[in-house]
Amino acid sequence: MMQPQQPYTGQIFQPTQAYTPSTPQSFYGNNFEDEPPLLEELGINFDHIWQKTLTVLHPLKVADGSIMNETDLAGPMVFCLAFGATLLLAGKIQFGYVYGISAIGCLGMFCLLNLMSMTGVSFGCVASVLGYCLLPMILLSSFAVVFSLQGMVGVILTAGIIGWCSFSASKIFISALAMEGQQLLVAYPCALLYGVFALISIF
Amino acid sequence: MAYHSGYGAQGSKHRVRAAPEPPPLFDDTSGGYPAQPGAYPPQGSDVAFNVNHLLADPMANVAVAYGSSIASQGKDMVHKELHRFVSMNKLKHFFAVDTSYVARKLGLLVFPYTHQNWEVQYSRDVPLPPRQDLNAPDLYIPTMAFITYILLAGMALGIQKRFSPEVLGLCASTALVWVVIEVLALLLGLYLATVRSDLGTFHLLAYSGYKYVGMILSVLTGLLFGSDGYYVALAWTSAALMYFIVRSLRMTSVGTDGVGGPAPRQRFQLYLTLAEAAFQPMIIYWLTFHLVR
Repeated sequence: MMQPQQPYTGQIFQPTQAYTPSTPQSFYGNNFEDEPPLLEELGINFDHIWQKTLTVLHPLKVADGSIMNETDLAGPMVFCLAFGATLLLAGKIQFGYVYGISAIGCLGMFCLLNLMSMTGVSFGCVASVLGYCLLPMILLSSFAVVFSLQGMVGVILTAGIIGWCSFSASKIFISALAMEGQQLLVAYPCALLYGVFALISIF
Repeated sequence: MAYHSGYGAQGSKHRVRAAPEPPPLFDDTSGGYPAQPGAYPPQGSDVAFNVNHLLADPMANVAVAYGSSIASQGKDMVHKELHRFVSMNKLKHFFAVDTSYVARKLGLLVFPYTHQNWEVQYSRDVPLPPRQDLNAPDLYIPTMAFITYILLAGMALGIQKRFSPEVLGLCASTALVWVVIEVLALLLGLYLATVRSDLGTFHLLAYSGYKYVGMILSVLTGLLFGSDGYYVALAWTSAALMYFIVRSLRMTSVGTDGVGGPAPRQRFQLYLTLAEAAFQPMIIYWLTFHLVR
């Protein structure tokens, strides 16, 4: 007896695939309604992005090592563009510097982490972590749109935000790569990198 | 339909509302686009094409496969060339550091006068990594100090309103060239003296990179306290660095033959060490005085 949900649509002399409705992921896109949503197909998972953002924003919360298993560059791209946009609001058209510095910084961190850790790390993972931890820097540069950062208050605020960014980045790296006793050593090059970003924001 | 819940009912509902009759985005060779939810084209090969509308062309699939194989070939080639010049294991040995080692080593570089035992420890003929031996040289501190020095030079020039990105590049390349010259000169000296020592290229690189710590301290003191502070810090860090280098390298040059007397070979190496130590303050001064006016 054929169920109404499973019409047999094969042709004579054409072997048909077994139709298993319990595994909808096994074939995609044979029909417009059966395709996965665009975001899932692109690999953008808003829930994970939000989780990673929260991890960055709570520097004292212990990070879960497995959240960095999927390297997604969608969040970091958004943050980089937002950083450039806030700089634009302050009148500095410096997308080129942001791009160049982030590329060189990611490359440097990639080499350093590969040398310092027992397990290697992929470039996408490094770029993803560094991009997520750029989020507090966006706060700094949007602050710089309204107030000038060149006084004592600006210096303290900048130092605090650099510390926040590099602490989060090193925390995620440490938990993802299982390195013990090296958090400050990983935080220092991150602080140098974010310091250069802060210099762009200030001057 | 049961299978729709797997995709998120919202998404599929959206799709159904948006496009009741989807126009074919590519040439469907199955002869018609069945609109029933359970239908699919009979040929199995079309399912692959339907997955990704962008890669409908079989040539595109081939191109993607070719491109990714080229990319992996390129990566392998880079790794092979790199491994010919640099042994990754040896390099990793110099980066196996932890925070307490770095803190103690920095303290030693600034105040080496109270340290008693300068010998590098071994375990079964293999030198211990820096994590377990304070006297072992590492490359983390020199690398970080070099980068910090470049950024500090940029900042110092910025404060004096003499900053431009080209000057930063100039500073970086000058410092790098001096490091390379020093390491090459030391290698040449060690080769001429034909001493049996464990000083490989990376050891020499590490020892010549330790002076950047002194440079950073001098520049910082100069920026905070003016020209007098700069000269005081320069004198202090130069003396400490000279003492550190002479004590560290004297241990490696004694060798394992047990001859303690001043054989001419060992005297030559001692002179080499002293010359290198005397060379450090000149380099420090040369690379930093223009930053502190």
